[in-house]
Amino acid sequence: MRLRVRFSKTGKIRFIGHRDVARVTERAVRRVGLPVAYSEGFSPRMKMSFGLALPTGYESDGEFVELPLIADAVVEGSAPGGGDQGVSGPVIVCQTDAHRPCEHEPESSAPSYCTVAEALSEALPVGMEVSAAVLTDGRGPSLQAATRSCGWQFDIVGLDPAAAEKAVAEFLAAGTVVTERVHKGETVSSNVRPSVEVLQVVGCSDRGAVLSAVLSATPRVVRPSELVPALAPAHEMGIARRTHQWTCGAAGRAEPAVPATCAQKHKELISG
Amino acid sequence: MQQPTLGPHLTSWLLTYPDTYEVGLPNQGLQILYELLNERPDSSAERTYAPWIDLEAEMRAHGLPLFSVDTHRAAGEFDVIAFNLSAELVYTNVLNCVDLAGLEVRSSRRNDADPLIGAGGHCAFNPEPLADFVDFFVVGDGEEVVGEITEVVGAWKRAGKRAGTREGVLRELAGIEGVYVPAMYDVAYDGAALVEVTPKYPDVPPLVAKRTVADLADWPYPRQQLVPVTEVVHDRLSVEVFRGCTRGCRFCQAGMITRPVRERPAAQVREMISTGLKRSGYDEVSLMSLSTADYSGIAELVRDTVSAGALETAGADAKRISVSLPSLRVDAFTVDVAAQVSRARRTGLTFAPEAGSWRLRQILNKLITEEDLYGAVRSAYSQGWHRMKLYFLTGLPSEMDPDTEAIAHLAETCARIGQEYTKRASVTVSLGGFVPKPHTPFQWFGQNPPDELARKVRLVRSALGRNRRVQLKWHDPAASTAEGIASRGDRRVGAVIEYVWRRRGTFQEWSERFDLGLWEEAMAASGLSLDWYVYRHRGESEVLPWDHIGAGLHRDFLWQDWQDALAGHGLPDCRWTPCYDCGACTEYGIEHIVASPVAPNGGSQGTGQDLATGHLVPVELRPRRLASAGASAGGGA
Repeated sequence: MRLRVRFSKTGKIRFIGHRDVARVTERAVRRVGLPVAYSEGFSPRMKMSFGLALPTGYESDGEFVELPLIADAVVEGSAPGGGDQGVSGPVIVCQTDAHRPCEHEPESSAPSYCTVAEALSEALPVGMEVSAAVLTDGRGPSLQAATRSCGWQFDIVGLDPAAAEKAVAEFLAAGTVVTERVHKGETVSSNVRPSVEVLQVVGCSDRGAVLSAVLSATPRVVRPSELVPALAPAHEMGIARRTHQWTCGAAGRAEPAVPATCAQKHKELISG
Repeated sequence: MQQPTLGPHLTSWLLTYPDTYEVGLPNQGLQILYELLNERPDSSAERTYAPWIDLEAEMRAHGLPLFSVDTHRAAGEFDVIAFNLSAELVYTNVLNCVDLAGLEVRSSRRNDADPLIGAGGHCAFNPEPLADFVDFFVVGDGEEVVGEITEVVGAWKRAGKRAGTREGVLRELAGIEGVYVPAMYDVAYDGAALVEVTPKYPDVPPLVAKRTVADLADWPYPRQQLVPVTEVVHDRLSVEVFRGCTRGCRFCQAGMITRPVRERPAAQVREMISTGLKRSGYDEVSLMSLSTADYSGIAELVRDTVSAGALETAGADAKRISVSLPSLRVDAFTVDVAAQVSRARRTGLTFAPEAGSWRLRQILNKLITEEDLYGAVRSAYSQGWHRMKLYFLTGLPSEMDPDTEAIAHLAETCARIGQEYTKRASVTVSLGGFVPKPHTPFQWFGQNPPDELARKVRLVRSALGRNRRVQLKWHDPAASTAEGIASRGDRRVGAVIEYVWRRRGTFQEWSERFDLGLWEEAMAASGLSLDWYVYRHRGESEVLPWDHIGAGLHRDFLWQDWQDALAGHGLPDCRWTPCYDCGACTEYGIEHIVASPVAPNGGSQGTGQDLATGHLVPVELRPRRLASAGASAGGGA
C-alpha cells in the first residue's frame, strides 16, 4: 500500500531544486513518524517516488510524492482508494497499536488525530503545503510514467492582456511554432506547437498578462518558458506555477489526487 | 523554524560566516550564539554568509548591500556585524563582506553610527592581521560574553550613537574580559621585529585573557539546530559532547586554546540527540568534539543512539539512525566502538596518524604506535568498512625523508590489512602542509616553503609507486604559505590582506580561486618578507604578535614543550594523569570535567599501553621542572 501526497511549492521555497525537495520531504516524513518503507542493504534509504520534476524557480499547486508503507502499517480513516484515481479525504496512518495523538489538541482527553496532510504540512517548510494524502494499492505505472500533461499558469512581464490575447490567437492558429531553448549547454530548436493542448489568457497580475496552458509531458516535458519567445519575444516570463499533473483516467483527464477541501493550512509567509 | 524577534529597541547582531552558506550554515558556534542572542530580551540575531562571486557581481550591479538571510535586512542597519573566523584564508572575505555592507573596511575610517565589526573563533587568538579592520575581537568561548557586549552596545544605541561616542563604546568593550579592541593598543616595531603591543589607556588590559565556560552542562545549545532546505556540507544533527582536548598534540591549535576538557553529561547528550532528531527529522547525528572517542562512555552512547533511533522511528529496523564521529584517534577506536558505529549506515572514516614514523609522532606528541593504527584499521575493516582516509601532515619540525616516506609504508600496510577482509579495501592518504599556529609549542617553528612541501609530496608519491589500493591527495603547498602569512602575522599583514582583497582575491580557501602570486605581490608591495613572516624559526625571547592575547597557557610551558618536542619527549594527557600546570586551568580556577577516570578506550598516550589490556593506564610522568634542568625521566603517578 502506498501513501500518495499532493503538495504545493510556492513563495521563496520555489528556489530549492528537486533533490532538495526530496531531502526536505524525507525529513518531514520522519518528523511525522509515518510508517514508510526503506530500501534494504548497507545504506537504507526511504523509498519515495515523485511525479515529474518541477523546474527550479517554478511554483506549483500540484506536486506529488508516493511513499510505500511498511507491510504492517495500520491504516484508519478511509478505505484504500481506487488505484490511480485516488480518493481524497482525511487519511490517518498509524503504526501498529499506538495511535498518534494530535499535538495541537493537548486538552482533548479523547484520542484525536491529525490527518496525514495536516501533520506533513506542519513538518514541511513554509511554502510547501499538503493538500491531499490518499492511499493507493500501489499497482499501476509510476507517477512519472502515468503523467501525460501538465497544467500551468504563468505571467508575462509587462505584456497587457489584449496583446496577450492576440499573441495566443496567432500561436494557436499556427501549424508550427519553433522556439529555442538551452539544453545541456547547447541551443536547441524545436516545434512546440504540437505540445500545446490548451493555451488561453485568464487575467492580469501586477506583472502582466496571466496565461494558462496545458502542455503535454510526452515525448518530452515542454515548459511554459519555451512558449514566451514565440508569444512575446520582447518580454520575459514572470512566475510560472504548475497547477496540475494530468494522467489518463477512465473518464479522460484525471489527477493522481485531488485536494481535500479545507485541507490547506495557513502559515504565515515571510515577506520578501 | 526559528524566527528572530525584531524591534528597534533590541541590540541587533548580524552573525556572519565569511564563506558560502553551504560551508557556513552548519557552524555550531554561530548557531549557539544565534540562539542565545535571540533568547535574550534585549537582543536579536540574524545570519548572513559570503555571497559567491556570481551573486556578489549581481548585488554590486544592482546596488544591493550584504543582507541577512533571515529577513533580508541590509547589513548596515545592524548594531553589530560579527564574524566567525575558523580559518585564516577567509580574511579577505571578511573585508569583502564589510565592503558589501557599504562600510569602510578600515575601522579608523568608519563613522560613529556605523555597525561595530566584531570577530571571534579560533583565529581570533591571533587577531593582529585583522586588527585594522575589526573593531573588537572575542577571545575564547562566546556564550557568556555576547551578553556582556550586548549590554554595552545596547546602552550606546539607546543613547543615540551620537557623534564622537564610538571611541567611548569601544573603550568600554575593551574592559570586558575576553574582548580585545585593537584600536586601544599601540604597536612598536624595531625594523622587522615587533617590540611590544601596549594599551593606550590605564583601564585597558595589557593581556586579554580568553573566556572559558566552566561547565558545558549549563549550555545545552543549540537547542533548535537550523535545518537548511538546501544541501550543506554537514547535513546532519550535531551534538557537542565535549569541548577541549588535552591529548597535547603540539601542532594542534584547537587542542591548546580550548583547554580544559569539559564533557557534557551523558544524560544531556542523550536528551539533545533524542529531541534534536525528533524535531529536525535527520537520520544522522554527528557527535562533535576533538578526538570524539575520548568521551567517557562513548561506545555506550553510540549504541544507545543507534538503538533508541530504531525504537523511536516508526516502523524502523535497527539501521535507521547513523552516528558519525568526525574526529577519531586511532588508539581509541576499538572494535567495540567500530561495531556500534557500523550498526547504522557506515559513515566515512578518517584517522589522523599525522606523521609516518614513530620518531616524528613522538615529536608531535601524537603518541600512537603503528600497532594502534593497525588495530583501529583492523577494527574498521572487520566491521564492514572497505575504505578509509588517513590524514598526515608534512613539513613538520625535524622531519626527514625517511619520516615522510614512512607515510607510504603505513598506508600500504593498512590497505594490506584491509585485503584480509575485503577485496575492495582501499586507503586514501590526505597530505597537508604544516602551518605553525599561535599558542602552540610549534609557534616558534619555521614553516617549510612550498617547493619543499611539494618535494615531500613527491617523495610520498614515488614511495607509493603504482599501489592502486592507496590514493594520494594533497593540499596545495602554495596555499599553506598564504595561510602561514595570516597565521602568525602581525598588524602589518593587514595591508597584505587588503591588497589581496582589492584585487578580487576572495574565497582563497577555494583552490579554484586561490592565487599565491597575488599574496607574494602583496607582501612585496607592503615591504614585507615571506621569509620573516613564514619560513624563519623564532627564538625564545622574540615578542610574538599574539603575546598580549592569553590562551591560559604559560609561555614557558609552551617553550619547554617545544624543547621537549625536539628532544623527542612525550607528554601524557592530563585529564587522566596529574596536572603539569600548562596554565589553562590554574590561571582561571577551572578544571577538567571528565566522567571517566581513565581513557575510556584505553589508548597509549605516553604510556606504552597495549590496546588489548583495556582500561588500565599505567602512567609515568616526568617532573617538568627537573626535566628542564636536564634531569632524565623519572618520577611517577
